[in-house]
Amino acid sequence: MTATTAKEQSIASSIQLRAVTKAFGSVQVLKNIDLDVASGKVVVLIGASGSGKSTVLRIMSGLETADSGEVVVGDVPMHDPKRAPEIRGHVGMVFQQFNLFPHLNALGNVTLALRKSLKMSKAEAREVGLRCLERVGMQDRCANYPSQLSGGQQQRVAIARALAVNPRIMFFDEATSALDPELVGEVTSVMRSLAADGMTMVVVTHEMGFAHRTADRVVFMDDGVIAEQGSPEQVLKDPQHPRTQQFLARVLEA
Amino acid sequence: MLYQWRSVLEYLPDFLRAMGLTLWITLLAFALALVCGLGAALARNSKNAVLRLGAGAYVEIVRNTPVLLQIFVVFFALPSFGLRMDAVTAGTVAIGVNVGGYLCEVFRAGISSVARAQREAAQVLGLSSRQAFISVIAPQALRNVYPATVNNLIQVLLGTSLLTAIAVPELTGVATVINARTLLFVQVFAIALVLYLVLSNALSFASGLLGRVLFKPPLEQVRPGLWPVRRARTITTTAEVAA
Ligand SMILES: Nc1ncnc2c1ncn2[C@@H]1O[C@H](COP(=O)(O)OP(=O)(O)O)[C@@H](O)[C@H]1O
Ligand SMILES: [Mg+2]
Repeated sequence: MTATTAKEQSIASSIQLRAVTKAFGSVQVLKNIDLDVASGKVVVLIGASGSGKSTVLRIMSGLETADSGEVVVGDVPMHDPKRAPEIRGHVGMVFQQFNLFPHLNALGNVTLALRKSLKMSKAEAREVGLRCLERVGMQDRCANYPSQLSGGQQQRVAIARALAVNPRIMFFDEATSALDPELVGEVTSVMRSLAADGMTMVVVTHEMGFAHRTADRVVFMDDGVIAEQGSPEQVLKDPQHPRTQQFLARVLEA
Repeated sequence: MLYQWRSVLEYLPDFLRAMGLTLWITLLAFALALVCGLGAALARNSKNAVLRLGAGAYVEIVRNTPVLLQIFVVFFALPSFGLRMDAVTAGTVAIGVNVGGYLCEVFRAGISSVARAQREAAQVLGLSSRQAFISVIAPQALRNVYPATVNNLIQVLLGTSLLTAIAVPELTGVATVINARTLLFVQVFAIALVLYLVLSNALSFASGLLGRVLFKPPLEQVRPGLWPVRRARTITTTAEVAA
């Protein structure tokens, strides 16, 4: 399903950021960010806490608006306030805290947007929803409420929920950071299988193993700028920028 | 001693009729309070400044003046403006409008207690803000405010005793009348007390059952305690946890 979709939409699932800036009050959080993600590619964003990684994802998914610069996601110019809302329902976002809807069971979480936004019939939504849950290995738990699932299971349901609307691009914001170490693998393996199917992905993570094995490109952010980027091999094994070296030393130590 | 109880128990039918009226006024006033509270909460969050100011004034006035005075205003003062109501109606309206002011703030807190993250998750999924409110925010807010709302229902019940002041034949009023007639105040007020306890425990038990049906996954049962103090404490702690 996703493989053909990705091919069909190969033109429309790339991302371009040009000279993007963003301030919160007097704090300049993003200073002149340029970033390109070609369709079907996996870009991993790394960097210290507070360096602006989440803000980049939130701008690309329409949750924040850039102060200046150009942001094109798929074929939607996000810097145009009139057109930015078009992105809704066309990208998927996976949050650190899962953000599942606690009053709906797993299937209800996955089908809500299908019913409300895509106006599917109940039966159709159920079929698509179950297929998405199966994709993340959660079809057996479709009747469970989020509070009845482990963190890893909740995050897999959250991924299924994002996949249900058939997005062109997926954003992951520290999707495994809130998980117990033994639960990280079940989530990263779902993410790897998405990447293998050709989904365009921008992933903020501290899992260097995932970055190394799955990323097409690793981007290191430092204090609102992109300090260094390149292949995982280059950036993770042979970093040039001193800040990258410091950051990696600290992460690998932990 | 036994004969004193016997002579008071002769009034049992009067007590029970008064208890029925108390329950009836409680339910009607609470229904009115729900409508006022929800309307005011939506108005206070609205984009329209007139609605916002009007609802704000309503909540401030109602919460910063004595309930008894509000009852007197509705019963004695409104007739001068051509709004004449019998004592039961006036009392029901006054208490409903009063508690509505408190419920407004409860509902507003409930809506804002639903994390922004929930709204954002719905937005990225493609839900409009209206759809997000109806399908994501409101059900969670309702669940969060349920214990506090039940607490207000009990407040309405206890508040109806103030209607004695405008001669509504509810439980407290009838008890004072029987007391004046028999002068057996220990027996008379003991019976009234027990009947209030029966009513309040029945109401919170019924609300607990309703909560179990209404919410998935089920709301933790608020156990009806024999003593209102203990129950009030249970309800507030649940409300704090929910908030
Ligand atoms: N809504 C906001 N209001 C004010 N400051 C914010 C807001 N969101 C993020 N920030 C600030 O912006 C900076 C970058 O945040 P963020 O993009 O979340 O970084 P990262 O994800 O790399 O940790 C931080 O200093 C953070 O405190
Ligand atoms: Mg972050």
